[in-house]
Amino acid sequence: MNAQVTGSRPLVEMINIQKSFGGVHAVEDVSIDLFPGEVVGILGHNGAGKSCLMRVLSGAMAPNAGTIRMGDEDVRFLSPQDARRQGVETIYQTLALADHLDAPSNLFLGRELKTRWGNLDDKNMMEEARRVLHRLNPNFKNLSDPVFRLSGGQRQVIAIARAIYFKVKVLIMDEPTAALGPAETAMVADLIRQLRSEGIGIFLISHDMHDVFDLCDRIVVMNRGRNVGGYRIEEVTKDDVLSLIIKGEMPAGWRPRNAARTPQTGLSSN
Amino acid sequence: MSVEVERLVVPLAGVKISSDALHKLSALFTLLMLVGLFAFGNAAFLSVGNGMTVLLQTSVIGLLGIGMTLVILTGGIDLSVGSVLALSGTVAGLAVKAGIPVPLGMTMGIVVGALCGAVNGIVVTKMRITPFVATLGMMLIARGTALQITGAAPISQLGEAFGKLGNGSLFRAIGMGTNGLPKIIFPGIPYPAILLVVVAVTVAFMLHRRSIGRHIYAIGSNEEAARLSGVEVDRTKLAAYVMSGALAGLAGIVLMSRLVTAQPNEGVMYELDAIAAAVIGGASLMGGVGTVSGTMIGAFIIGVLRNGLNMAGVSAFIQQIIIGFVVIMAVYVDQLRSRR
Repeated sequence: MNAQVTGSRPLVEMINIQKSFGGVHAVEDVSIDLFPGEVVGILGHNGAGKSCLMRVLSGAMAPNAGTIRMGDEDVRFLSPQDARRQGVETIYQTLALADHLDAPSNLFLGRELKTRWGNLDDKNMMEEARRVLHRLNPNFKNLSDPVFRLSGGQRQVIAIARAIYFKVKVLIMDEPTAALGPAETAMVADLIRQLRSEGIGIFLISHDMHDVFDLCDRIVVMNRGRNVGGYRIEEVTKDDVLSLIIKGEMPAGWRPRNAARTPQTGLSSN
Repeated sequence: MSVEVERLVVPLAGVKISSDALHKLSALFTLLMLVGLFAFGNAAFLSVGNGMTVLLQTSVIGLLGIGMTLVILTGGIDLSVGSVLALSGTVAGLAVKAGIPVPLGMTMGIVVGALCGAVNGIVVTKMRITPFVATLGMMLIARGTALQITGAAPISQLGEAFGKLGNGSLFRAIGMGTNGLPKIIFPGIPYPAILLVVVAVTVAFMLHRRSIGRHIYAIGSNEEAARLSGVEVDRTKLAAYVMSGALAGLAGIVLMSRLVTAQPNEGVMYELDAIAAAVIGGASLMGGVGTVSGTMIGAFIIGVLRNGLNMAGVSAFIQQIIIGFVVIMAVYVDQLRSRR
């Protein structure tokens, strides 16, 4: 499915985002967008500003300048809660789990289910957690163990479950497969495809070229805080992408690989 | 304490025992062993009267320890509780001395404690000063203030009403002995002990059944994760410090009431007893680990050790040495288990 071609509106637009720390410009005047049912890969070196850009979108970091537009309105995310309320969920590379709490507590952290009296409804949270975790991984047991006892894959499943349990429109995944084995990586890939088919937009930060070419509809490459190019995945090869990542520009004399198409103006103009 | 004990025994019936429960069980076992040892050495140790004395003596450390546990759970520490205890007690004493009714004066003491805690919390969350330094500062400020406002002199003759909270007891039964003189049938449950149980149950409920409790654990476990999950980190931490301060204030008025004198130099080094109680009870100074019931057991281990060693005629200096060893061993045993 290709939402962009059908001409629907973007789920989210980040326009001229700027973020600096002291004199260091982490993100400089970057604009990107995301359409429903689309997976956009955000690529770049460590320190290229991709995580920083995504943290702005997830509400973990306030930009110095620029706007975020969702649908027709401009939104301001002053905290992760603001972003979540608008349906922007993030799976952080560090997973952001509280190690001493169990899976249900982590899943519902910050938005606990409560009883009529405002007490924690642990029973309900446990049932819901079991339901959603088993959907992702039928072998998920020991739900009441503190999560530091669980395997990397299980921890990842909790982090993913936390993002998709609530009404998600835009999902940010920061290196979701970096710590996973082959089977679990395949599970995450299947999940990404499933979410895409449900019309959810996904920003995927990844270093794994195989994952990127396997899953993404479009890529945006960042270099030294700038957006150095956005292309549809069928327009580029791995070498093109590496050149963008390393040098910040396409190889000399580059033409889109599928010559029938022209480069996406407005995405690659930056 | 029956609530705590029940919670400890229940896991035994189940198949799995969590490491948390295991620590508490071993601590409880240590406590029972101590009681057995002292009872063997001195029959008077097991008397109801002495039991109530231990309850009374432990209530101050217990109250401080509960507040300390809240702060330690967030990954912080509160070094000011001993000094805040003194400041709150002297404020209450001065207020009562100035003619303010006892309940109101005591409430003022608790409020002053809570305010000290609020300052700690603001310094930690807004000024971004580490809890150790922030509360070290408050420790000096509160002690200095207590000494300054009293001129470093104890305030005595506070009246019988002021001593009621610390010295009164519930269900005290006095009958007539065979020789015609009054005889104490049951010494009663001291009010401070009742207060301790109420506070312990309330705080344990808050930690396990309310979202603020879950957030306190989450912050100590992984502060950044808590923040990213939408937990109000600063507000939750502030609440923990305020509660610690208020409980230090409560402990202060209990202690001063027991002495019926407001002593500005009371409570020196009590913060270390409170930390020791929490640590013996399984709390981790890294945050995220610890329970009220564990801290209660820790407080009682310290209380029983003090009381039993006193009855055995061991000097206060030797007692300190022994408690020092207990703290180190408790943490060592805990580490051995988690390494496994």
